[in-house]
Amino acid sequence: MLRLHGLRCLMALSCLTIQARATDEGIEFFEKRIRPVLAEHCYRCHAAEFNEAKGGLTVDTREGLQRGGESGPAVVPGSPEDSLLLEALRYESLEMPPSGPLTKAQIADFETWISMGAPDPRDTVAMKISSREVVQIDWPAARQFWAFQKPRQEHPELATGAVIDLQVRTRLNEHQLTPNPPATPQVLLRRLCLTLTGLPPAPEQSAAFLAAAEQNLDAAVSELTSSLLASPQFGEHWAAMWLDISRYAEDQAHIVGNDKALFFPNAWRYRDWVISAFNTDLPYDQFVRLQLAADMVTPDDPADDVALGFIGLGPKYYRRNAPDVMADEWEDRVDVVTRGLLGLTVACARCHDHKFDPIPTEDYYALAGVFASTEMWNRPLNEDTKAEKNGHASNPDEALHIIRDQKVRDVNVYIRGNVENPGEIVPRRFLQILCDAPPVPFAQGSGRLELAEQIISADNPLAARVIVNRVWAALFGRGLAGTPSNFGALGERPTHPVLLDELASRLMQNNWSLKWLISEIVATRTWQQSSDLQAAAMEADPANLLLWRMNRRRLTVEQWRDSLLSVSGRLAAEIGGKSIQPDAPDGDRRTIYSERSRFQLNPLLAMYDLPDPNAHAASRIRTTTPLQKLFVLNHPFMEHQATALAELIRTQTTELPDQVDLAYQRVYLRQPLAEERSLGVQFVENNGWELYAQALLAANEFLILD
Amino acid sequence: MSESMNIEHYPQTRRSMLFRSGSAVGMTGLAAAMADTGRLHADTTALDSPFHLPARAKRVIFLFMNGAPSHVDTFDPKPDLAKYEGQQPSGKLYKPSSGSGFMPSPFRFSPHGESGVVMSELFPQMSAHADDLCVIRSMHTNVPNHEPGLLMMHCGNLQPIRPCLGSWASYGLGSENRNLPSFVALSPGRPVVGPQLWSSSFLPGEHQGVSVDTNETDVEKLIANIRSGTVAPSQQRSQLDLLLRLNQMHAQQRQQEAILEEQIRAMEMAWLMQGEASEAFDISREDQATRDRYGSTPFGQSCLLARRLCERGVRFVQVYYVTKTGKQPWDTHSSNNDGHRKLCADSDKATAALLHDLKLRGLLEDTLVVWTGEFGRTPYSQLDKNKSMKNAGRDHHHTAFSTVLAGGGIRGGMMYGESDEFGMNAVQNRVHVHDLHATMLHLMGIDHTQLTYRWSGRDFRLTDVHGKVVHDIIS
Repeated sequence: MLRLHGLRCLMALSCLTIQARATDEGIEFFEKRIRPVLAEHCYRCHAAEFNEAKGGLTVDTREGLQRGGESGPAVVPGSPEDSLLLEALRYESLEMPPSGPLTKAQIADFETWISMGAPDPRDTVAMKISSREVVQIDWPAARQFWAFQKPRQEHPELATGAVIDLQVRTRLNEHQLTPNPPATPQVLLRRLCLTLTGLPPAPEQSAAFLAAAEQNLDAAVSELTSSLLASPQFGEHWAAMWLDISRYAEDQAHIVGNDKALFFPNAWRYRDWVISAFNTDLPYDQFVRLQLAADMVTPDDPADDVALGFIGLGPKYYRRNAPDVMADEWEDRVDVVTRGLLGLTVACARCHDHKFDPIPTEDYYALAGVFASTEMWNRPLNEDTKAEKNGHASNPDEALHIIRDQKVRDVNVYIRGNVENPGEIVPRRFLQILCDAPPVPFAQGSGRLELAEQIISADNPLAARVIVNRVWAALFGRGLAGTPSNFGALGERPTHPVLLDELASRLMQNNWSLKWLISEIVATRTWQQSSDLQAAAMEADPANLLLWRMNRRRLTVEQWRDSLLSVSGRLAAEIGGKSIQPDAPDGDRRTIYSERSRFQLNPLLAMYDLPDPNAHAASRIRTTTPLQKLFVLNHPFMEHQATALAELIRTQTTELPDQVDLAYQRVYLRQPLAEERSLGVQFVENNGWELYAQALLAANEFLILD
Repeated sequence: MSESMNIEHYPQTRRSMLFRSGSAVGMTGLAAAMADTGRLHADTTALDSPFHLPARAKRVIFLFMNGAPSHVDTFDPKPDLAKYEGQQPSGKLYKPSSGSGFMPSPFRFSPHGESGVVMSELFPQMSAHADDLCVIRSMHTNVPNHEPGLLMMHCGNLQPIRPCLGSWASYGLGSENRNLPSFVALSPGRPVVGPQLWSSSFLPGEHQGVSVDTNETDVEKLIANIRSGTVAPSQQRSQLDLLLRLNQMHAQQRQQEAILEEQIRAMEMAWLMQGEASEAFDISREDQATRDRYGSTPFGQSCLLARRLCERGVRFVQVYYVTKTGKQPWDTHSSNNDGHRKLCADSDKATAALLHDLKLRGLLEDTLVVWTGEFGRTPYSQLDKNKSMKNAGRDHHHTAFSTVLAGGGIRGGMMYGESDEFGMNAVQNRVHVHDLHATMLHLMGIDHTQLTYRWSGRDFRLTDVHGKVVHDIIS
């Protein structure tokens, strides 16, 4: 459409409407020769009647035709050669109608008609055309929207855990619902371990916790929580969330021939940095600051620069450096920053003012300018690395894939997103809706650091809310706001707005510590309740928006595959390093280390809903398909784990019923029921341990988290 | 203080409907979700689509000639090229022609069938089906580069971040056969661009095309994990029985938990699929005469497999003309004429056999067959260093090319649209790729403006803000 309506830069809509002289003869000509043709060929796309104004143009009123669209007036009465409409009908610049040109006679009629002064009796007022010039945002009114209000604290006197339980209880009471009783210690144990570290408890950890829980459950939970938060497996688990957000990948969707020049063979260094950031509990504000501007924050410490992979590992598209392709790349950068860190869909404003949120197109290009002022940089890994004149490592294998400022500049608005139709230049600056005063243009280089500072400023109502909501979603299976990357008008309103605000405020007060946030939440009654169903509550709130129970969930692909490796005793303890293929049968590293490919995502990851790393992912979807089960039944990876588990059980004890007990303990953290034990014994006698172990690993109890 | 929230006001997203729906497995996608909420009769095989358009095509076979066939050598005769032979084309070109100017096609064109559909002598067998074919001669697309051209033709977008046509169809209509995937991509090796061409992108992963490497013929190699390499079926059946029993006991303690039921059903279905898919993907079950009719080439055998899959209710099959040595064999920058002779011979045979079989089985009526490339080739030549006309090729050309359709509600025996006298530009009844997509969805009973998915803050659709159904080519 950009092409068909490839409109030239005639932005001003200030043309005077010249009242055509409506002589009777002229009107008759219009009615006979012009109106039917307009109606037949043009109205479908250009009529208020059909609510269609492609290119901003309507032709079903006199005013609409003469005011024209984004290219300027369509008809200049008396002046056929200045009338864009005629040009388009002649297929000279635009080509209208797109289905094929009108007949020569018809086109001649339009010429005659315009020469006559374009008589047109249609007096209806044209529909209002949205145009960047026309739209006025009432900023004070727009700021009334919940997400643009600063988080408020209603209960500063209460402890954080108490606020959570109180707010959840209050909302349940409003709907005459009651929360579930606490989950059993066994369930809590598995839940805590899998949610905090992505791994099931080790047998000795399990025994210690259950013994301690008998004495004092709260103390046992608290102690286990602390030890899980302190373990290096914590970062390995939580990094997955960030890799989804940052659309982490190691290659490109477009590969021409076998050209790997645009690949990121050292992407894993960024992944290691993310893992370590979670493990050291790097304050979230600093986490964001470094990922956007490490080179500017700590210019003397290049070690932090690996964090810049947040942008530097973004997609590089085919034919890059062509203006339209670079415009697509800017969109990726703006999108990952704004949806990822702010919960705003700013990229929607690339071609037009945002239709639902107070984000004018200028704001999009104000941010695009920041990224237009940077380049993707393959920084040589060290001083000895061979580099080109332009500072890029000669070989991507020896490079850190980051960004650096280059050709700092402001960019034009592209009207309707069309790079061939530049509008005015917009200074690089932050979003207007998130600034109390008119935003100050960025002055330091590309402005990345200033952008980061604005994002994590205490005055920004969104950054803390967005990350709190993501952590909540990771812990509960659903965020307090159901659309984690869209807090705008089309996003869902938070189910517990007061609670979201409290947590956002407190996160900032607690030095943006995510470990603090997580430990507060898992200590609550709300988080520790059982996942059992209540008939009445199911009726009233089937989606459990009000949190009358813990959501029962399928494990993520990482949790599930890591659990398999863990219970079969094969999990490697090594932290960090290069990527693996997760479906290699003898693989033993955690799933976080899987290569994420934009070209072809590993089938195991794709099958279990790892998001496509071509773009930021707001959250994981969870599908249930027979192909997943075919993997479980038939893939050598599963057979490998089953064999290892069987071997491990057999070497630990000899009597068959004891072996079954041991397997249940190891895989499900409990004793089997009598029937389960006898089923197991019988099955092993007939079919052997390997098939039995595989069945235990394939069963729902292993896959689902209560 | 908090605004009272009516939980009913939380819209069920299509995704959440999918999560919660008990029968979301198998019949998946929007159709399933709608069925579950009582808005659609559960039988998606009915010809009434959930989008209130009568569905003419229940399934689609998308035959893709990778590299882009030359329209002026296949379906769009340009006798004037002989008249102007050697003249350099004027007007805006993608890049200046390094060739010898306009190059007439050496192939004879003639009308076929009662309808007189004109095609070149390179299609002796397809010409017997002329009265079933609709040739669009006025196709055009955005750029003359393979990658974006392929993405446009598959996903309606030049960048690789959109779901493809087959994924949209799967999402919109679900599966016709619960024991088989709804969308399969058949390619011997990988075409240029590759998996993005059958990607579901932001649509749920189950709508991704199941990609099958047709260099293989063993069923086990064709479909991932379809059979255990080590366990005998009878033993696996006992294992499955145990598994179902364990899952039942587990579920009994967690009554009415929908996600557990879904998992159990998926497991049962996997078992059924092992049987059904093994059969469906096994072309060795076809008699030799049939296999010969399609030709022994990968493309021929892929077309045969496509027919088997469609017979069994696979919704969308993409077949790529790729060879072991070439990811885009139709890209005839040199030796265009010889290249087309060989390629068309293979493609003609396989396509004709497919049309024949579909018709014989009464399937052509509601199966849409599309034969196309990502764009066309220049009416003027491209020469190598030696400037030898013998090896003359044709370059990429996007402002006019031809696409052939048959079955599934298409008006047969028709030539639609025109390119100019040289085949340079589509001029009459121009059909953009978006329009082709809109028309294909329309034939499947889907209003292309209504099939949307909310992602990244807005509703996406295959045709973005474009696309016009070409009603003239619908019977």
